[in-house]
Amino acid sequence: VRKTAGLIGILAVLVVTACIWELTRGGGTINFLRAQNLRQLSTWIGLFGILSLGQALVIVTGGIDLSVGSVVALVGTTLALLLDQGQGWSPWIAVPFCLGLSLAIGLWHGALVTKVRMQPFVVTLCGLFFYRGIARYIGEDKSHGFGFQTFEKLNFVSKGALFGLVPMPFLIMLGIAVLVGLLLHTTPQGRHLFALGANEESARFSGIATDRLKILAYVLCSFITGIGAILFSFKVGSLGPSGFGSFYELYAIAGAVLGGCSLRGGSGNIFGVVIGATLIVVLGNLVNILGIASQLEYVVIGGAILVGVFADEMLRRRTLSRRTPA
Amino acid sequence: MRALMWIGIVLAIVAAGCGSESPNSGSAPVSPDMPSGEEPIRLAFITNSTADFWKIAEAGVKQAQDEFGCEVFFRIPSQSSAQEQQRIIEDAIVRGVSGVAISPSDPTNWTATLNEFAKQVNLITQDSDAPDSDRIAYVGTNNVDAGRAAGELIKSTLPEGGDIMLYVGKLDAQNARDRIQGIRESIEGTNVNVIDVMTDEDDRAKAIRNVEDTLVRHPDIAALVGLWSYNGPAILQGVSDAGKLGQVKIIAFDEEVPTLQGIKDGHIVGTIVQQPFEFGYQCVKLLVELANGDRSGVPEGKQIFVPVKTITQDNLDEFWATLNEQLGKS
Repeated sequence: VRKTAGLIGILAVLVVTACIWELTRGGGTINFLRAQNLRQLSTWIGLFGILSLGQALVIVTGGIDLSVGSVVALVGTTLALLLDQGQGWSPWIAVPFCLGLSLAIGLWHGALVTKVRMQPFVVTLCGLFFYRGIARYIGEDKSHGFGFQTFEKLNFVSKGALFGLVPMPFLIMLGIAVLVGLLLHTTPQGRHLFALGANEESARFSGIATDRLKILAYVLCSFITGIGAILFSFKVGSLGPSGFGSFYELYAIAGAVLGGCSLRGGSGNIFGVVIGATLIVVLGNLVNILGIASQLEYVVIGGAILVGVFADEMLRRRTLSRRTPA
Repeated sequence: MRALMWIGIVLAIVAAGCGSESPNSGSAPVSPDMPSGEEPIRLAFITNSTADFWKIAEAGVKQAQDEFGCEVFFRIPSQSSAQEQQRIIEDAIVRGVSGVAISPSDPTNWTATLNEFAKQVNLITQDSDAPDSDRIAYVGTNNVDAGRAAGELIKSTLPEGGDIMLYVGKLDAQNARDRIQGIRESIEGTNVNVIDVMTDEDDRAKAIRNVEDTLVRHPDIAALVGLWSYNGPAILQGVSDAGKLGQVKIIAFDEEVPTLQGIKDGHIVGTIVQQPFEFGYQCVKLLVELANGDRSGVPEGKQIFVPVKTITQDNLDEFWATLNEQLGKS
């Protein structure tokens, strides 16, 4: 809880600084706070937040999923091919098919990690190459869109806003966050996921079905990524299989880590992940709005993650040293 | 037993590899009038990244391939990096090509490497030139001219002038710099003012975010110009999501379908198109001539410029029909 409070603090300081910066530069308007900007921002926070939430589930178990960006490309390309290109599948079949595909990918990852005992880094690194290649092959390296058909419902959930105010991707992200948060923080399965992330051996000896839970984490991660991929596809509209979603796994990991998930496993909380993902997107937005050289965007993001994790570590040590003398 | 299994796996992979090769490399139809036993001329055409643009170039390559009865390996690197292209050229040389047409990702720093290859094969550059290297010729657009054409379109769209923003994937690409130079030259002395050039590192989602952020920061911006092919659709998407269609003028490059549809719908003023089909065709034609020892196709300045076209609502239908015809051949 303390961690998340610190993170919200960082976010608040950042936003206030940015607003003051904008004010002092004259013009009298704070562009960052304009409704249009907030609506656009929350759309992207929703999209990237979804990926971070999936990633967080795997990171909590001490694993990692490097294939997220490629899964986004594969699912997006598959969806575009099924809906367009003369295949003409109904969205009611194509969307579940794509979600099923992402589910199968998660199952495959989970099985390799638990049953074959391969390292998550290796399994998903192979996935990163593999799914990207498949996406390029089936997509024939052409950029794909959704034709000139209007998929009203799909467009609404990925670009629209509820009552014209709150963007749907943001709401979907919140919905997923609540579900994942409930799973992790209130159910016995959630406690067990943390336990196996902290120490798999002892978790197994205390009777937790570690393999099954780990598979569940990978399946949910890929499934949530699949949902994100569909929303991303419709938001972006034109997707090139070779570039679509590349690097997104790193944004997802960055959001989760910034949100307090430890790559060692066993710690993290979902609210923090939402804030972490928010911070990453806001940073990118501020670079543009404040007119910072766009070359520096990665510097800003990298620096922010470093500062965030550094501060977190310091806080943790202070809490520890306070506890020990007592 | 285990060894057998591994051999089996390896064989399966090799077989799959050979099987899947044909769709991409356009397996060589040996022309019927070729004396049997004689090896066809082998060439390689290497793109810099993936885009519809290259699909059209591939159509040109295929037409020339059928016409001249040669075998062309059409390779698309998965990442636009010089290192990947280098690997592809090396592999192509191993496969016995006599000529290579490449769009170098990083022409300025790549001169020495290109010169190495120029010693081994007939090397020509296309799309993006490496003028300091020993390449035999360049086939492609004069991107400064392309920029000027865009500048003319901007001027006629904004007779009163106004602020404009440019978008591109990466600024270290020569074609990006040339186009910007051409635009700046063309609008010099007018009231058109380039606020900035925003980059997106080839990430289309980022390209849309850049547009959205621009509209927030500069609500009164007059026109947005996309310098790479996907920037046009990205601008259209961003402007449309912000509900500003019609208020902000859009000018694009290349011929992605959403760009053409945007012109048709009146949301995009126009697009500057290159003629990638000609790139593909001319390159193969030249390389075949070179393989036969005929250097007459290489002009004095060693640069073969394929002119650009400005497409607006006036000539859209005709252009689109020709394009579909060309793509139908691939």
